[in-house]
Amino acid sequence: MKAAKARAVLALLSLCVLSIAGSASSSIPTDPFVGIAPEDLKYYKSSDVIKCKDGSKKFARAQLNDDFCDCPDGTDEPGTSACPGAKFYCRNAGHSPVLLYSSRVNDGICDCCDGSDEYDGKVNCSNTCWEAGKVARDKLRNKIATYKEGVTLRKQEVEQAKLALVKDEEELTKLKNEEKVLKGLVQQLKERKEQIEKAEEQERLQKEKEEKEKKEAEEKAEKEKIKTEEDAKQEKKEGEIKAEIEDIGVANTDHEKIGLVEDTPSDQNVEDDFEPLKEIENGDNAVSRGQQANGVNQHVVEDKDESVSQVSQKESEIAVEDVSRADQMTASGKDLSEDTEALSKEELGRLVASRWTGEKTEKEDKDGIIEDSEGEDHEEMSKDAHVEDEDEYASDADDDDQRYEEDDIEDDVDEDVPVEDHYDTSSSHESQSDDELDLSDTTTQTSPSWLEKIQQTVRSILQAVNLFQTPVDKSEAARVRKEYDESSAKLSKIESRISKLSDKLKYDFGKDKEFYSFYGRCFESKQNKYVYKVCPYKQATQEEGHSTTRLGQWDKFDDAYRVMIFSNGDRCWNGPDRSLKVRLRCGLKNEVAEVDEPSRCEYVALLSTPALCSEDKLKELEHKLELMENEQPRPHDEL
Amino acid sequence: MRTRLSLFLLLLFLSSCAVVLSWKKEEFRNCNQTPFCKRARSRKPGSSPFLAADVSISDGDLVAKLVPREPDPDQEDQEPPARPLALTLSAYRDGVMRVKIDEDYPSQESPHKRRFQVPDVIVSEFESKKLWLQRVSTERVGGDEGVSSIVYLSDEYEGVVRHDPFEVYVRERSSGDRVLSMNSHGLFDFEQLREKKEGEDWEERFRSHTDTRPYGPQSISFDVSFYGADFVYGIPERAASLALKPTRGPGIDHSEPYRLFNLDVFEYLHDSPFGLYGAIPFMISHGKARGTSGFFWLNAAEMQIDVLGEGWDADSGISLPSSQKRVDTFWMSEAGIVDAFFFIGPGPKDVVKQYVGVTGNPAMPQLFAIAYHQCRWNYRDEEDVENVDAKFDEHDIPYDVLWLDIEHTDGKRYFTWDKVLFPHPEEMQRKLAAKGRHMVTIVDPHIKRDESYHIHKEASKNGYYVKDASGNDFEGWCWPGSSSYIDMLSPEIRSWWADKFSFENYVGSTPSLYIWNDMNEPSVFNGPELTMPRDALHYGGVEHRELHNANGYYFHMATSDGLLKRGNGNDRPFVLSRAFFPGSQRYGAVWTGDNTAEWDQLRVSVPMILTLGLTGLSFSGADVGGFFGNPEPELLVRWYQLGAYYPFFRAHAHQDTKRREPWLFGERNTELMRDAIRTRYMLLPFFYTLFREANVTGVPVVRPLWMEFPFDEATFDKDEAFMVGNSLLVQGIFTERAKHVSVYLPGKESWYDLRTGTAYLGSKTHKLEAPEDHVPAFQRAGTIIPRRDRFRRSTTQTVNDPYTLVIALNSSQTAEGELYIDDGKSFEFKHGAYIHRRFVFKGGKLTSLNMAPATSGNLPFKSECIIERIIILGHAGGPKNALIEPGNLKAQVEFGPLLLQGRSSSGVLTIRKPGIRIADDWTIKVL
Repeated sequence: MKAAKARAVLALLSLCVLSIAGSASSSIPTDPFVGIAPEDLKYYKSSDVIKCKDGSKKFARAQLNDDFCDCPDGTDEPGTSACPGAKFYCRNAGHSPVLLYSSRVNDGICDCCDGSDEYDGKVNCSNTCWEAGKVARDKLRNKIATYKEGVTLRKQEVEQAKLALVKDEEELTKLKNEEKVLKGLVQQLKERKEQIEKAEEQERLQKEKEEKEKKEAEEKAEKEKIKTEEDAKQEKKEGEIKAEIEDIGVANTDHEKIGLVEDTPSDQNVEDDFEPLKEIENGDNAVSRGQQANGVNQHVVEDKDESVSQVSQKESEIAVEDVSRADQMTASGKDLSEDTEALSKEELGRLVASRWTGEKTEKEDKDGIIEDSEGEDHEEMSKDAHVEDEDEYASDADDDDQRYEEDDIEDDVDEDVPVEDHYDTSSSHESQSDDELDLSDTTTQTSPSWLEKIQQTVRSILQAVNLFQTPVDKSEAARVRKEYDESSAKLSKIESRISKLSDKLKYDFGKDKEFYSFYGRCFESKQNKYVYKVCPYKQATQEEGHSTTRLGQWDKFDDAYRVMIFSNGDRCWNGPDRSLKVRLRCGLKNEVAEVDEPSRCEYVALLSTPALCSEDKLKELEHKLELMENEQPRPHDEL
Repeated sequence: MRTRLSLFLLLLFLSSCAVVLSWKKEEFRNCNQTPFCKRARSRKPGSSPFLAADVSISDGDLVAKLVPREPDPDQEDQEPPARPLALTLSAYRDGVMRVKIDEDYPSQESPHKRRFQVPDVIVSEFESKKLWLQRVSTERVGGDEGVSSIVYLSDEYEGVVRHDPFEVYVRERSSGDRVLSMNSHGLFDFEQLREKKEGEDWEERFRSHTDTRPYGPQSISFDVSFYGADFVYGIPERAASLALKPTRGPGIDHSEPYRLFNLDVFEYLHDSPFGLYGAIPFMISHGKARGTSGFFWLNAAEMQIDVLGEGWDADSGISLPSSQKRVDTFWMSEAGIVDAFFFIGPGPKDVVKQYVGVTGNPAMPQLFAIAYHQCRWNYRDEEDVENVDAKFDEHDIPYDVLWLDIEHTDGKRYFTWDKVLFPHPEEMQRKLAAKGRHMVTIVDPHIKRDESYHIHKEASKNGYYVKDASGNDFEGWCWPGSSSYIDMLSPEIRSWWADKFSFENYVGSTPSLYIWNDMNEPSVFNGPELTMPRDALHYGGVEHRELHNANGYYFHMATSDGLLKRGNGNDRPFVLSRAFFPGSQRYGAVWTGDNTAEWDQLRVSVPMILTLGLTGLSFSGADVGGFFGNPEPELLVRWYQLGAYYPFFRAHAHQDTKRREPWLFGERNTELMRDAIRTRYMLLPFFYTLFREANVTGVPVVRPLWMEFPFDEATFDKDEAFMVGNSLLVQGIFTERAKHVSVYLPGKESWYDLRTGTAYLGSKTHKLEAPEDHVPAFQRAGTIIPRRDRFRRSTTQTVNDPYTLVIALNSSQTAEGELYIDDGKSFEFKHGAYIHRRFVFKGGKLTSLNMAPATSGNLPFKSECIIERIIILGHAGGPKNALIEPGNLKAQVEFGPLLLQGRSSSGVLTIRKPGIRIADDWTIKVL
């Protein structure tokens, strides 16, 4: 008892000493109310019997901060370490107040900048609030400045996004109308084409019939020689007239083509890409081209995004991936202990090590070869493989060495202070995805009259071509076919654009559509040999030279739009599918920094963007600064 | 494209199956593939060709020759041993008999290879306990035709050598009942070293490996019987039940013998006689009829042990001259000599004490080392370390040690740091140390063969590496790639190694850094059975086969010596080792290696740890969470709840696993894991006291129930629950979504739930609801447990914190307990710088008594710590006040919660703020 009393007195004494040594204006309590937040004082002072806040018990005023835990929730010991559940309030005048776990009270470590958590005299904590506060306030001010600017940027983004969205919607509506009209035209053309083809067919049949009749008539022919010569003259005349007409027709279509399509190179490309596909398709189906064409186009259009514009790039990616997957398959699918007898000592060592590490060994890589080859071949093989692997080993180590070189270590991720210092991360820049280039380049931005022109042309064709003319006018038929092909190509392009647009509009662009501009963009960050590419709404990759590892497909926003999640990336050996979480923070530019892999194959990255510079947060920060400045003692008090 | 994808998925599926069942059985030899084992196992009882002759007393020992009987002319192929063997029988105080059998080498030094006797295991104090035998008497025992020689062991026991057939046993003097015997079934065999005969092929091949076996066959085998035994225990390490199941006998189709051969086993199974990372050829028997006895064979070669089921010898025609119930066992070793220790018991704790009397007492760990350890392969860089450390504080979870696995090094060159990931190791350690925390780095025995690596340069220059059969430095494959292995058998080399731990030599190390020895079986990825070839050569021409099981022991020893040197002999080393051998308890902690995140593996951790404790290795634990795989949060939580009671409490995980620090699974799970860890911190004064008990007596910190209740038969084969000291019973929960849990509470007295104080009757199985927030734990009535109820960031900040005493009264309203305190780190306790109190509650009065002998030393240890709270469970009356003497001071008595954050309960009497100092003598009377 005595000892305890003496201790308490000592504690109080040291408190007094501290408070004298500290600032006179700040009122560090020298009474039993130590560790209580100002807004809570009333609770403790209102009566002599105080309730535990969880309602479980009551305690007498004398039991407040008597270094014995009475309340399970620690209500009675805000100023001591007696209750594990209690919190200790440090005022930290000049800086921000802090609530500490009671485990920090008198533990010999200075946690509060005002030193109030260490009052038992065992350690002497100097008051560092003024300096720390100044640093913190400066930091906060910088942050606020960033936020202010960021809020403006964000507003602009949001405005633009709204306009762009309206535009997108309009475009979509327009496209849908056009689609409807064009569909009708294509249908008409199709019908016409089919009619022509039918007519041609009939004509052919007719011709055959005529030929037959001709043969039969040959006997008569000699008899009527003279009459035939006259007939021939007549035919020649007719042929000359026909040729004239044809010439005119060709000129006409050429001209129209230029006028109505205003083809851009990319369109041309798309069409070029179409051709072989169509042919393949047609080759496969031994159905007449004319009948099938429409259907084919339709089909191709649907897949166009995937299969055409990116075909070559993707295919190569897939090929690479497949190869590596196949490697992995041999590695993991096989019982690694098989054939170990055939291995050199070193191969065996690597193989066994790989069980723990999951690293590939040449045994796994070359599995097939080793199995197939025999004797000398095998030895040579593994020798080579070994050399290769040694290199790989060395370079791997190097990579590890470099991995964090450019990392700005002091600039650690502080979630509360997510802004400053990240303006000039030179390693990060944004790039437009190839995909987007395709997209921005649309015909729909050009003169709207193209549709009318087509309509006119089609009308004129439909009128001009006399279906019942026999023989079928060749030039007219060609014109119809051509017009049909072009229109249906046009249609498929429009359909593709529509599906793209509506896909786009399905995405979640944030509460204020502040992430609208992320669509179709990629943000890159180079970290040593790796280039990380974060393409919101699409995917995230890690590129090393020519090899690309998918870290994840776009999944969703999380944590109230503070995190972007990419999941279901390439599978890790003996591990999960790769995934990436991108934490967003307010910044003046869109840039990725600090890609990290805290858990195997689970990546995290940081992306600064004005989209996160919200006004609410700005107000919160300003309020915080205000509080800090209010708490700040006047300079002469510091002395 | 689609077919390709589905093929890929199929393969993926297959490969994941392969991962599940990835114990590579075929990579390891079974008994049939091990010629000495196969041969020994096929021997018939009674086939032993030896008889004892020339029995006499020499230098205080009984000595005799074991002479081969004339060969049976009917059996042509039998190779008669060429020479007699020399037997020495010695008696030691405290109930130990030692029998050595070796070749009877010609007196003159011959070029002959000598068989290996394992040095540096038996502690020097043991020799001082030797009884100088004066005389040997002979008699005909029972109906024997021949004579037996009898010597004195203690007042109650005698050692007996029967001459023909040869047999050695211990018997009770008064009753003549046998306790332990060797060769009672005539299975003793000893392959003597000899010249190779023409055309003879000694080589052994296994998979792609060839063992040259230059010295030919040299195995030893014999049978050992434990009388009055119901079960046998011990002989770690394996993942199997505590009570060893028979491996041969009626009803057993086929079972491998228990194998003792230190191996790095990838993804070991949870129920297998297969040997793992360490080997202790020490077996304990226990039975209701006799009590406990033990048998220890000091031999470091591969050993195989059969436990023979009752009736195994039915057709052998051998009838033992004793009708006592017994357990027979059969021991086989590839090489070495017979150096066998018979421990008489008669109680479980006696046998453990007798064993550590030979092999040494467990080291006293530092306080931080018995707190919570956070490990992962790997905490990747300094930033990672800082973040993990900060998160513990953020969640108010205490921890004491952060670990760095192999990736922290520069290319797996131990004693170095990856310059990019860990550019400022000292600063990093200082930051941790500022919060009273420590760091552990890994140092493995394989040395990267790299001319620019100083350790390799020195080791190869000085010839410090183990040699291969042809005398060149042995090269194997391990983490760094091509590696060689330091030969720790040599004291000179150990001393050189120890110097590497000085702060000057281990650049980047600080006083708060301690060491982890992994892979010291040794693990050699491209060696036979993933270890070193048996014909590799160690210091003094010792073949690796002869010392294999002790390899890790010498490495552990050298490392521990290094830390001792580093701290000028006054800083207790902490070294965790994976491989172990008898004596390892002197050098640090061990853990159960690479377990898996499965319920069964959580389950098997209990018998594994109990077995280690029985065989001297008190300071052990299993990786919390399971090393391989990703535990479901429920499993992880259960593992923390159980692991909090492991002597060594460390969470660890493989690099391919998801992060699993305690705060990563949602608030509720964080809370549960924090609670579990805090339970450990709360009980640290109790644990520390138990570690001191182990240090003094060898009695382990966690104990099988039968160790505390040796007469309660129901406990003999229990291994789901265990005792912490003599006061706490802990029952694990080993199933998913368990609704109920059955707990058998032994003994006559009641038990009090550790969290609520609810009383449960003893000698009864209770079916309890399985609580989410803890695994069942009970304080035994009649005990007093010291606690510290305040939590800090680490143990370092707790030094001045007050204590709580929890008194659980038994039916006669009494209880006893102890508290041991010292500075928690130095060796000053060896000079008396400690406080050791005994608390006795009797007659309504709690008394604190000084247990430290007055003459214990000259260094005082002072503590100002007070007792803030005394809790009394099971008090019959309703006291209101407590009177404290000296001082005639009053303290208030009230009903309070048993745990600070729990609810008050009417059964829980609390003396409020008695304010007495822990160091003082005092009494408190409750009124």
